Amino acid sequence: MNLKLAIFKPILKLAMERQGHGAVLGFKVTKVGRGEVEMTFPYKQEVIGNPVTGVVHGGVIVSLLDTCCGSAAITTLTSVAVTPTMDLRLDYMHPAEPHKPIYVAAKVYRNTSNVMFCRGSAWQDDPENPIAHCVATFMKVDTQSFSLTNIIRRRFNHLIGGVKAFEKEADK
Amino acid sequence: MNDALKILQEGLVKARAESSPQQMLDLIPYSSFIGVKAKVEGTEVLYWMDRRPSNIGNPSLPAIHGGVIGGFLELSAGIEILYTLDVNEVPKVIDFSLDYLRPGRYKTMYANCTVLRQGRKLVNVSVTAWQDSPDTPIATARCHFLIT
Repeated sequence: MNLKLAIFKPILKLAMERQGHGAVLGFKVTKVGRGEVEMTFPYKQEVIGNPVTGVVHGGVIVSLLDTCCGSAAITTLTSVAVTPTMDLRLDYMHPAEPHKPIYVAAKVYRNTSNVMFCRGSAWQDDPENPIAHCVATFMKVDTQSFSLTNIIRRRFNHLIGGVKAFEKEADK
Repeated sequence: MNDALKILQEGLVKARAESSPQQMLDLIPYSSFIGVKAKVEGTEVLYWMDRRPSNIGNPSLPAIHGGVIGGFLELSAGIEILYTLDVNEVPKVIDFSLDYLRPGRYKTMYANCTVLRQGRKLVNVSVTAWQDSPDTPIATARCHFLIT
């Protein structure tokens, strides 16, 4: 097995499942490969978008596909870099059904020196009958501008200071 | 008629009568999950989302999750349709196209919407989000909704 992927998988799992928005939504990373990531979202009552039908809000599917495509983009990196999203386009094929998990898969289909093109889809029962499909592009920005020690320092502050550390950082 | 539908429609009529987009947001559970608020400002509706730890995407920056920005804009667009047009059901989103212009920093985010075209079935809405000033938007979105 590729050594880099072996390192990526636990880091991605930690980043996506344990902290921030991924943690409150309850994402699970089910597969990590080079340029390919799959995730699952269990149904949650707190994120209903249509109180009549109980269907989750489209924003959850945006979050899922953005996270999944972004993760897939990260797995293709060969050097330390960040991959901000440039744009994301989502087509909703049919409404999701309530009380059922949503599965998403994303794949990088073209990787250039500066830009990564990514495709993703979300489904419930049949992958051939998706509820949504998306295309997203990501920039490759190398991290020479912000040093590794700085990132480690912030991570450390976050670990000991929790949310207060973020607020301090943001208020600067 | 379905009870949930009745509650929703009564809520919408009441919110429109009292010019309160906030009451419409309260009908949708997702709005309190990410913490979206709205108020009428002049002829427009201003939407905002205060910072909260559960909306963080990248803790080492810290930055707001890109998906939360997307969700915020999509929700604002939906409420704009319910508030400005005479629609009595949650509009169905067909497509959503989002451009990220600047990183969403860990502070309050604002948005306003423009209904670009309203047909009999289809509505096109454009949404812009900013943090420091409306002149420096952090994201713009364009979406199509089906109304009944």
